[in-house]
Amino acid sequence: MAANGSEDLLRSLAPQVLGAVVRRFGHFDTAEDAVQEALLAAATRWPEDGVPENPRGWLITVASRRLTDLLRAEQARRRREDTVARWMLPDDRLVPAADRQSSASDDTLVLLFLCCHPSLSQASQIALTLRAVGGLTTAEIARAFLVPEATMTRRITRAKQSVADSGVPFGLPPGPERAARLDAVLHVLYLIFNEGYASTSGPSLNRVELSAEAIRLTRLVHRMLPDDSEVTGLLALMVLTDARRLARTGPGGELIPMAEQDRSRWDAELIAEGVALITAALPRGATGPYQLQAAIAALHDEASSAETTDWPQIVALYGLLLKLSDNPMVALNRAVAVAMAKGPREGLALLEALETRLAADHRLHSVRGHLLEMAGDHAAARASYRAAAELTRSLPQQRYLHARAARLEDNPAQDK
Amino acid sequence: MKYMILTYASQQDYDGMAGKDTGKPAWSAEDFAAMGEFMQKFNNDLEESGELVETRGLTAPVHTRRVEGTGVPVVTDGPYAETQEVLAGYWIVECESFDRATEIAARLGECPGPDAVRAGAVADVRPLAESRDHLDG
Repeated sequence: MAANGSEDLLRSLAPQVLGAVVRRFGHFDTAEDAVQEALLAAATRWPEDGVPENPRGWLITVASRRLTDLLRAEQARRRREDTVARWMLPDDRLVPAADRQSSASDDTLVLLFLCCHPSLSQASQIALTLRAVGGLTTAEIARAFLVPEATMTRRITRAKQSVADSGVPFGLPPGPERAARLDAVLHVLYLIFNEGYASTSGPSLNRVELSAEAIRLTRLVHRMLPDDSEVTGLLALMVLTDARRLARTGPGGELIPMAEQDRSRWDAELIAEGVALITAALPRGATGPYQLQAAIAALHDEASSAETTDWPQIVALYGLLLKLSDNPMVALNRAVAVAMAKGPREGLALLEALETRLAADHRLHSVRGHLLEMAGDHAAARASYRAAAELTRSLPQQRYLHARAARLEDNPAQDK
Repeated sequence: MKYMILTYASQQDYDGMAGKDTGKPAWSAEDFAAMGEFMQKFNNDLEESGELVETRGLTAPVHTRRVEGTGVPVVTDGPYAETQEVLAGYWIVECESFDRATEIAARLGECPGPDAVRAGAVADVRPLAESRDHLDG
């Protein structure tokens, strides 16, 4: 098997194996270490010995053995008799074998709920999800988030400790709590995707691996909860956004706004998948924020140009989103859609109301620059672009904004 | 031994890199892309050879906050003059000798960019104190 295929297999088995081991023995924190060691053993041995007939069973066996070793060592160190009691509960003998296939997806879902436990900080939830469910190594996660490996190790260790200390049983949260906990899971996946798509620091705008990982994990959740329309909405949103990734930057890594992107470079296959997902989800149940955002993304993706986009429909969808939560970024996006539907002056009027909340945010000034440019007020547009450039710390964004301002100086005759 | 390689730039240099008109030759899209490619390769090579411990670039000096004083500290935003050169980026490398660290730093001289910028570019190499014994009195 090719190294990549083997790695993919390991990554997809990681949460199932961890789920099975924790379900059987408890000790989430130590079990997680044991599974990482089992994965490492597989990564070195399978390419030489060949992939075992039952790779999942192999990993569970190796991880369980390792866990026993780790717990024994811990026990010896702490001289704590009750440790044995905790991992040898008689009840555990009664549950089906840890590697029974049917529970694999449940286990993965339970793990996700554990990793996104409300007692953890957002940064910890993200790191733990990527490691325990995504099967990424600490080094890989550290690199993706540009922090030293030692820092990420501590973050993950603390997070695992909190989960273990919280004493939550390994099982799905009870009914009423489940919806809120699922929201937290979806939010973490959404944040991982965004971190990859619009990296907030560093010279390179896309950290593709994180986006791909977020999509992979969301697909996993979607397979487990196919009838949850917000899960479907989130997957659709990611896929429809990712479809535009290639067209989003030029050859030198410079930003290209959606109106000027070469739409032939958009990924038609992903668009078709995303549209199908959101079309299936919308008629079912309450329409949540991910579905609304996916519906907006679908309208963009299906239009052949900025001019032929169904802007009135987008304005209406942003209106619904605003009703769900009073978010200034949603209001800003709505102002852009209004400008496209009814003209730049209408959009500019809406920006006034956002002035106090977004004054220090480069996005408000950038949008104002674009709308002023549309309105033909080039001097004011230049000033807004430059104000935005002063506020953003991203060099590619600064270069985009300064180029935008300079272009207006070069072509003063092009006023509409 | 570990060494730190430091590079410097003024707010004016950053503005040039951001494509802002500063009266000095600005970075073209090609310059900027070539610089990005060079840095990526430079860092990859150091990672491959196992010598890279850590590297970071700093955002423009204008985003600096200075904290001064005892008791109630005084915070100043953007304390530097436009043309004052300040730390812009660093690499921590672990290598066999001071000469090897110097050789690595010298490669930074090949980084593409406008001629005026390249002519004025400097990099410092400084050995890191290996333990508290090197610092404590």
